[in-house]
Amino acid sequence: MNSTGIPLKEPAISAAAGDTEQLERALIDASTRVPVLIFYTSAVAWLILGTLLAGFVSFKLHTPDLLSDIGFLTWGRVRPVHMNVMVYGWASMAGMGTAIWLMARLCRTVLRYPLLLVAGAGFWNLGVFLGVCGILLGDSTGYQWLEFPSYAAIILFVAYTLVASWAVLMFRFRRGEQIYITQWYLLGAFLWFPWLYAAGQLMLFVVPVQGVLQAAVGWWYANNLLFLWFGAIGLGTAYYMIPKVIGRPVYSYHLATIGFWSYALFSSWTGMQRLVDGPFPAWMVTASIAATILTLIPVATVGLNHHMTMQGYFPLMRYSPTLRFTVFGAMSYTVFSLVGVLISLRSVARYVNFTQASIAYSHLGLYAFFTMVIFGSMYYIVPRLIGREWRYGSLIKLHFWASAYGIGLMTLMLLAGGLTQGASMENPSLAFSESVESVLPYLRGRSLSGILLMVSHFIFAYHFGLMLFGLGRKSTVPTFLNPVEAEGAEVAH
Amino acid sequence: MKGLAPLFLGIFGTFAFSWVGLTLIPNWQIGHLNPQSDEEGTDIYPMPQSGMVTRGARVYAANGCNYCHSEQVRAEYSGADIERKWGDRRSAPRDYIFERPVLLGKMRMGQDLANIGARAPKEEESPSPTGGASPAPQGAAASPSAVASAKAASSPPATSPSPATAPATSPGAIASKPPASPGPAGPPPSKSPAAAAAASPAASPRPSAPPWPEQTAGLPPMYSAAWHHVHLYSPRSINFDSNMPSYRFLYETRRITDARSSDALQLTGSDAPREGWEIVPTYDAKCLVAYMMALNQSHPLKEVRSTGASAAASPAASPPPAPGGQPAK
Repeated sequence: MNSTGIPLKEPAISAAAGDTEQLERALIDASTRVPVLIFYTSAVAWLILGTLLAGFVSFKLHTPDLLSDIGFLTWGRVRPVHMNVMVYGWASMAGMGTAIWLMARLCRTVLRYPLLLVAGAGFWNLGVFLGVCGILLGDSTGYQWLEFPSYAAIILFVAYTLVASWAVLMFRFRRGEQIYITQWYLLGAFLWFPWLYAAGQLMLFVVPVQGVLQAAVGWWYANNLLFLWFGAIGLGTAYYMIPKVIGRPVYSYHLATIGFWSYALFSSWTGMQRLVDGPFPAWMVTASIAATILTLIPVATVGLNHHMTMQGYFPLMRYSPTLRFTVFGAMSYTVFSLVGVLISLRSVARYVNFTQASIAYSHLGLYAFFTMVIFGSMYYIVPRLIGREWRYGSLIKLHFWASAYGIGLMTLMLLAGGLTQGASMENPSLAFSESVESVLPYLRGRSLSGILLMVSHFIFAYHFGLMLFGLGRKSTVPTFLNPVEAEGAEVAH
Repeated sequence: MKGLAPLFLGIFGTFAFSWVGLTLIPNWQIGHLNPQSDEEGTDIYPMPQSGMVTRGARVYAANGCNYCHSEQVRAEYSGADIERKWGDRRSAPRDYIFERPVLLGKMRMGQDLANIGARAPKEEESPSPTGGASPAPQGAAASPSAVASAKAASSPPATSPSPATAPATSPGAIASKPPASPGPAGPPPSKSPAAAAAASPAASPRPSAPPWPEQTAGLPPMYSAAWHHVHLYSPRSINFDSNMPSYRFLYETRRITDARSSDALQLTGSDAPREGWEIVPTYDAKCLVAYMMALNQSHPLKEVRSTGASAAASPAASPPPAPGGQPAK
């Protein structure tokens, strides 16, 4: 394993770390402070907005008359706004913040040209803001996750170019020959996204393809965004945080290689399975179903790798917030993929294709997996940027449990509701309205889970705000979830 | 991993593979379809959309109708869509060649709308600007649904100036009538928009009743343009357990100046405007309804087998989907 000469211990805190190394890290962290904090702060602001919208959307779905007389508050406009705020405002910005910090650390070089990133963040915020206003005013394009009108999309692309060119520059000035696993995923994400976004925009709006292919391109885009942008950033982050926190190298380099390449190859072919038995050539759907099943290979390798790395260190999840969130996210990645395989099988898709189950799937990917990993990374990174520790361990604990129970309840409600809805829909002797009625109780339950998530996000935003205003703890010891017991478990936060 | 070249090539290659495989090759395969026509070059399907319909599609997308309504009928082996009478045959790529945006939809919190235009009463297929003034064919078939009967008993007919082309009966009488047997003929299989437009809206008496229950009392015939307007304005006045939000912001309440507008909605009960006022659709609402009336995949396609050999035969064979065919939600 070590014959490859890969510094598998690189992300681990080396016991023999000299003062120079510590100093170097502190310098790198300091250089990323302003841009990363700008990305994080914007992301948290969008998260709060998106959460409020989510609650609104969820209640409106079973209370259709709630504020329905106002054009820009109609359900069909607020829902895409919620999705896009979460996807582009929260998840993308927080993901980019984490990716920037990881890139600087792993390239072992101070961040150059921070203004490029600051400008990128500014333009990105502007793009999301304009897009949100556009949708509310009735300019939505109607394609999932590409609802932003073209004027907003162009700004987003400019912003992205700034961020990506910075990442390439950073990579150009990296020190050391070795490229750590996390960097593969991050480089992949940074290079896939612009291609994906440009291809989506071009083939849908600039030189639109004919007819149903627009829907195919739309779902190809949405699924690849989920896997190759969010998934890649999430997995890369988990590959850094887990070994780092427990102070132990990744279990197997070879597994990681297999995991990465099979992920890139198979997950990019998914997407069409969500249009099962639609008006398409059957081979497209079948190819995507096959690819979805094949994503079990990266799931198994990545899962095994993380599991073996964690082996014997699971008790540390009792203390480290980062580890707890990240491991939860990494486990959810497995669940997310398994659910994805399950609902893409033709015999199951027949029932769940047009139901709430697909919403459960998106939430598993974007929230239970990606968002939880990003929360974990923020608990790790923010103290290193600000020089203060998180103020209340209890708030972190509350955040974790509210999020975990919230997303768990939401997934269960939507999956069970989707199955019920699908079963009544597939029974033509039942009135169609009964399929809708059968899912409504589950949707009310989902609204309850939304309240839990709202609580968790408000707690996090408040805690983050305290950190931002320098009200964190002044301490050399990181904030633990539970007091470390006397036997002196050496926890590196 | 040593060396950047393999990493970059791999990242590039995997994605290029997916891009080519899932977008470019399908584009080569089905990206340049033409409308089909018979040997004489007539009976062309599908036809390009009118300006109002195109604008209506934008209104539909802008208000997110596609998050609850799909526009695709699956084959009979993969779902109950055809059994639910959402279409005679599965949807095919050729059905969508003039649609933009294509709003296939991924969720059915509401009915599938792929053929909602085909389900309109015959004289209403073309986007009719006459809104509420269209003759309500009240005597044709009483709705078997209790909802409609209850409505008939409780609410007086709207004050719409209904031309007496249809056999005019009082709503009470309709409600007490036994449900008429389903008519023998549904919409004929060939209904290009041009042909439909040619059909005179008011002159010809209805040849037969459509196979689905009709709302009679005070309400326009089901899935007619006027019905859509009432449904959009107040979904629960038509179907009390509907989950659809109302789209009142697409309508305008205004004072009647000299005569009641021909577009005014036929509203009853608490939705009805005050005396001297009327509720009329905005241009966007008219476009939206025009778009829905144009959603019609009932024309046979050579590459797809239609299940109900002809649309006229199928409704006679099976009873109307009693409450199942209730108004769209």
